[in-house]
Amino acid sequence: MTELSATFIVFAFTAASLIAIGFYSFITGPEPLRRILALNIISAGIFMLMVVLAYRGYDDTAVSVGDPVLQALVLTGLVVAVSATAFALAMLARLEQQKPEQQKPEQNRVAKSQISRPEQ
Amino acid sequence: MIIVLLLVPLLSALLMLLWPRIAPLLALLSAAVSSLFAAKLLLQVNEQGTLQWLLAGWPTGLAISWQADSLSCLLILLCSILQLLVGFYAFATRARDQLSQGFWPLSTLLQLSLTVLWLSRDLFNLYVCLELLGLVAVALVSLSGGKAFKPALNYLLLSLFGSLCYLLGVVLLYAVYGLLDIKGLAQAWQADWLSSCALLLMSLGLMLKAALWPLHAWLPAAHAAAPAPVSALLSALVVKGPLFILCLLWLQLASVQQAQLVAPLFAGAGLAALLFGGWSALRTPFIKNLVAYSTVAQLGYATLALGLMLKFDQPLIFAALWLFVLAHALAKAACFLAVGEMSATLGGKRLTIVKGASQTMPLAMFAFAVAGGSLIGLPPSGGFVAKWALLQGLWLQGELLLWPLALVLATLLSAAYVFRVVVVAFDRADPVAPDFAPQLLPQWLALLPALAVWAMAMFSEPLLLLLRLEA
Repeated sequence: MTELSATFIVFAFTAASLIAIGFYSFITGPEPLRRILALNIISAGIFMLMVVLAYRGYDDTAVSVGDPVLQALVLTGLVVAVSATAFALAMLARLEQQKPEQQKPEQNRVAKSQISRPEQ
Repeated sequence: MIIVLLLVPLLSALLMLLWPRIAPLLALLSAAVSSLFAAKLLLQVNEQGTLQWLLAGWPTGLAISWQADSLSCLLILLCSILQLLVGFYAFATRARDQLSQGFWPLSTLLQLSLTVLWLSRDLFNLYVCLELLGLVAVALVSLSGGKAFKPALNYLLLSLFGSLCYLLGVVLLYAVYGLLDIKGLAQAWQADWLSSCALLLMSLGLMLKAALWPLHAWLPAAHAAAPAPVSALLSALVVKGPLFILCLLWLQLASVQQAQLVAPLFAGAGLAALLFGGWSALRTPFIKNLVAYSTVAQLGYATLALGLMLKFDQPLIFAALWLFVLAHALAKAACFLAVGEMSATLGGKRLTIVKGASQTMPLAMFAFAVAGGSLIGLPPSGGFVAKWALLQGLWLQGELLLWPLALVLATLLSAAYVFRVVVVAFDRADPVAPDFAPQLLPQWLALLPALAVWAMAMFSEPLLLLLRLEA
């Protein structure tokens, strides 16, 4: 990555704009779903930046080589991002389920004791 | 030894999922074993000096590097002991408070992620720890069900945002230096604009996760919504993790110029946290929110100490920073357990429920008042030792007017919000009747950390020596 080729700049710029879009919509959007999507866009941007930075040109046999450390980091990051998104979505679903129940306090109490003691 | 500290919580958390019936027993057992090994590790580090590992035998630069210095060992010990204590409290009150079974594996995973966080000296490994810590903490908050989901989701989103900011900083640093190991980075460090950008981004993320002012708004709602043992763990331990990384970054990586530039920002944020957090604690009508706002305020001391440390580079101030963290962890655990106990027995969330509690629940109230004494910084408590170290450090630097005055103001505010509760509790004219006979064991368990924080004053000499050497 000694010289900044035009391709590199295009890719890096795309990654940066993804991150910027994500930041903007995370900060402005009050809707939780919108924020979860914004977080995913930010992480997509960051992973793209990592993949672009991993570019190390071609070796003697004209096979593209990359920095394995960054590629490993992207993999780890993807796993973390997917599980965090799943968790956030599950929590949002629980929150949405609860909304109609809040008007009926009696049902809510039953639901609550079921939630808090799943084992018994 | 280090393997035991990691494997015991991990394996027992997995076993708890497979065999939920014995989960409480396993959790307590794993916390007890971890405490023993953490104490042993602390002694070993004290004798032999700092221990270092390169994981899986990879060469330096490629391997994840871990380091156990006396500060890390002390924090690991604190973490496992508090885990044990809170575990006992949760066990004693599990039937009454209908604590979810999920508490046991999650709290054990919390201990695991914090242990790794104190040990790790690799930026990406720290990111993974942060994410694990954040996810587990949010899951713990959501155990209350019902109304806790909204603050928990908010906490989760902000925590993920904070981690992504941190990750972006890590990627930028890797792009410049091709290193993730903090020691290697510190040697190769150049104070150019890209690394400054990366440091600022990482600090933003970490400050959001550590609820440092002005990014603290999520904390009171999340900590107040959680069950009592969870709030104790969150306030005592979880917010200290990102603070630890923040200290690593600024004290070990940043050049003198960068540190000097950012020092007033940290000191100012700390001061603002002390004033605004204290003010909000004075105004809130709910008792758990009061304790949660006091966490915001007390974190202000740590931020202030970090700012002053960056400015003056005085080992005493560094010691003061970590003394604040230790004292606050113990005192806040006691406060949350005592408040949880009182609001469960007296039934209610408002501050007015503790009316006459000095008569109806004297032990819990005593625990709160004693822990509050340390939050204020009354001698001879851990909070006092920390504040004294900070003042002495300032004195040695010839700062006699501005910062000491600010500290006095902050102390008065914290005294005001602690006494706000105590005054109501001593109003014995028409006490709030307990819903059922107060249980003694949980109240004693709440009192234990409060007594420990006062005992910290007895051991202030070795503690100060230990921490000063780390600076």
